[in-house]
Amino acid sequence: MFKQKTIEEAKASARRSSGNSSAAFYNNPNVRAIFYQILLVFGLGYFFYSIISNVLANMEATGIKTGFSFLGASAGYDVLMTLISFESTDTYGKIFIVGFLNTLLVSAIGIVFATILGFIFGVAAFSQNLLIRKAALVYVEIFRNIPLLLQVFFWYFAVLSALPGARQSLSLGEAIFLNVRGLYLPKMVGSDLFWVAEAALGLAIVGIFVLRRWAKTRQDETGQQFPVLNTSIAMVIGLPLLALIVTGFPFTMEYPALKGFNYFGGITVIPELMALAIALSVYTGAFIAEAVRAGVQAIPHGQTEAARSIGLKEKKIMQLIIVPQAMRVIVPLLNSEYQSLVKNSTLAAAIGYPDLFNVFVGTALNQTGQAIETIFMTIIVYFVVNMVISFLMNRFNNAVALVSR
Amino acid sequence: MKPSGPIDTFQPIADRPAPVQTVGPVAWMRENLFSGIGNSLVTLGIIAFLVYYIPPILDWAFFSANWSGTTEDACVKDGACWVFINAWSYQFFYGTYPLEEVWRINLMLVLLLIVIAMSFTLPKHYRMKASIAAWLALPLVGMAILYGGWGGLEVVSTDLWGGFTLNVFMAAASIIVAFPFSFLWALGRRSQMPFIRSVSVIFIEFFRGVPVLSLFFMGSVMLPLFFAEGTNVDKLIRVWLVLIFFMSGYMAEVFRGGFAAVPSGQYEAADSVGLSYWQKILLIILPQVIKISMPNILATFVMLFKNTTFLLIIGIPEVVQTLQTALANSYWLGGHALEGYLFVFLVFWASCFGMSVLSRRIERTLNTDKRD
Repeated sequence: MFKQKTIEEAKASARRSSGNSSAAFYNNPNVRAIFYQILLVFGLGYFFYSIISNVLANMEATGIKTGFSFLGASAGYDVLMTLISFESTDTYGKIFIVGFLNTLLVSAIGIVFATILGFIFGVAAFSQNLLIRKAALVYVEIFRNIPLLLQVFFWYFAVLSALPGARQSLSLGEAIFLNVRGLYLPKMVGSDLFWVAEAALGLAIVGIFVLRRWAKTRQDETGQQFPVLNTSIAMVIGLPLLALIVTGFPFTMEYPALKGFNYFGGITVIPELMALAIALSVYTGAFIAEAVRAGVQAIPHGQTEAARSIGLKEKKIMQLIIVPQAMRVIVPLLNSEYQSLVKNSTLAAAIGYPDLFNVFVGTALNQTGQAIETIFMTIIVYFVVNMVISFLMNRFNNAVALVSR
Repeated sequence: MKPSGPIDTFQPIADRPAPVQTVGPVAWMRENLFSGIGNSLVTLGIIAFLVYYIPPILDWAFFSANWSGTTEDACVKDGACWVFINAWSYQFFYGTYPLEEVWRINLMLVLLLIVIAMSFTLPKHYRMKASIAAWLALPLVGMAILYGGWGGLEVVSTDLWGGFTLNVFMAAASIIVAFPFSFLWALGRRSQMPFIRSVSVIFIEFFRGVPVLSLFFMGSVMLPLFFAEGTNVDKLIRVWLVLIFFMSGYMAEVFRGGFAAVPSGQYEAADSVGLSYWQKILLIILPQVIKISMPNILATFVMLFKNTTFLLIIGIPEVVQTLQTALANSYWLGGHALEGYLFVFLVFWASCFGMSVLSRRIERTLNTDKRD
């Protein structure tokens, strides 16, 4: 593209400098460029002018208010699930935040599980075992080719609503319960000395970064390797555990308990959230598996052979040779898959999970009638979230990109 | 010097068969299924899983399924009640389109197939022109045939359109109309003129960046505000408009990739023989761009086709909406959700998978670079 530009520029400048007076001025590319652009300015100007005047006239005729004053008004409806405290007398502005947090929650869950599923099945496509290879293929080809909406409905109406009622809940060790009303998990409630364990966890995370730097410097200087991964895992689990033992387990577990017709206490995951998160993970996971497969396939077999010939173990070949190179292909694809996952989370509206789109473009729009404000506020949020994802993934991409020396 | 006398001819020993562990089915199984302890366990686990689950599924879906009948009472056996699908198949495919007019939808599908066949089989020297014209005319002709109101055809209001053919129609009509626009947007994005370029970038990125569902809401709630007072544009048309915008954003990026992939020598050669800008683009570049972009165009179409199910949320009776109506019907309350969803799954899966296979085949046949 760059090359193309220079050629056309060169052509244009050649025409200019030749001062060819025999050509009419309207054949001059610069004059034409200005003319077309002025035409476009006027066209667009007229287009937006007519739209805006139509909108204003229509709104006046139907008596719809304009502006953002509705954000301060009391909403008067309740939201099925909120991460922050919310009452039906709260404002539309607060509903916006509640919906935004719910969108972030389901997107984050979806991204984590889609990545896990995608990498498992993407790598499984290269398994030695024929059945595992076929299973990976079947997973990708089935879930990629069925519309996401159908998958959401399938999980919500066909699977989760077929679960037993509260009294016959499926349970795991009397701590986790699953029934038609949702998933019930125990909650950890810390008392006064609990902060010590939290601080230990923070310390462990900081420690990992220090350890990684130290191990890398040591390897660069002496060539000796240090088992960073195992030590890190030991630190993340060990330090908080040690803190808990020293402070005498300063927390109580709050288990969900059956009271009347339902379970109370602990953490409740509503079936809408479960269905949406499962569907998003499985659907996007299939695309990510395809991306991972493409990434691994893009690496010439010579890389593996060369790595074998210098005596690396199979595990090390994967870790040091294949994955770092494959990531260059995978990360840009992951970026776009994550963005489409966030956009697809708007399907919450189909099953009533209260994400931003559902509570704002769904209910708030219906109540206030202010279509333009609500839709644009919502769209901007999705833009911003996707820009943040794109920014982070580009940072990550720069980290894994080929550094030529 | 050759030795005189009778020559001892060399008698090779007959080939021994290769060891059974290196060739044939045993070796194949050793390599692919039982190459280690872990692998063997996994293989046995998967086989056990299949043996345990496949027979009951087959039994449910085929052997003890109910195939014939017209009402729910016909479903007496334990298995799937395919009678449900059978009884509602008309609605699933054609929605509430009147039965005596349904030949129009079928005619449309036949026309679509004819145009597809045309673009592959016509003689080369006018294939491009004829098929492009036919493709572009198809949505308008289709709209005219389906809506009617001319030449003695009865008007069929768009409220009655529905079912799977509506999904197909919306997807096909949007992508076809979006085609020329997306081509212009892609050219705009490559243009030297700064204002045209920035307008194109903003347009493309806007329609690629927002959720489809919000576009559908724009089409159904916001767009009516944009038209002058008193103009009443049909809801389906509004959504169609929005889909065209959406698609032209996506397709513009596909074409941009195509333009970038055409070697710059092609542009230069066209310039050097003195072709004008539009001659260069239309005669030299566009045919190559279409060829290069074909797999991506099909992939975009598959995405759009899957997204047409989202129309349900704004209340347009496409196939999933029809299924939900059928499931809520008071004569069919026996819980046929599984059968219904499986059927719609299968229809979509077959279409989308078929298109991805087709796209791979087109990619191979259009790949003329390696032919010489």
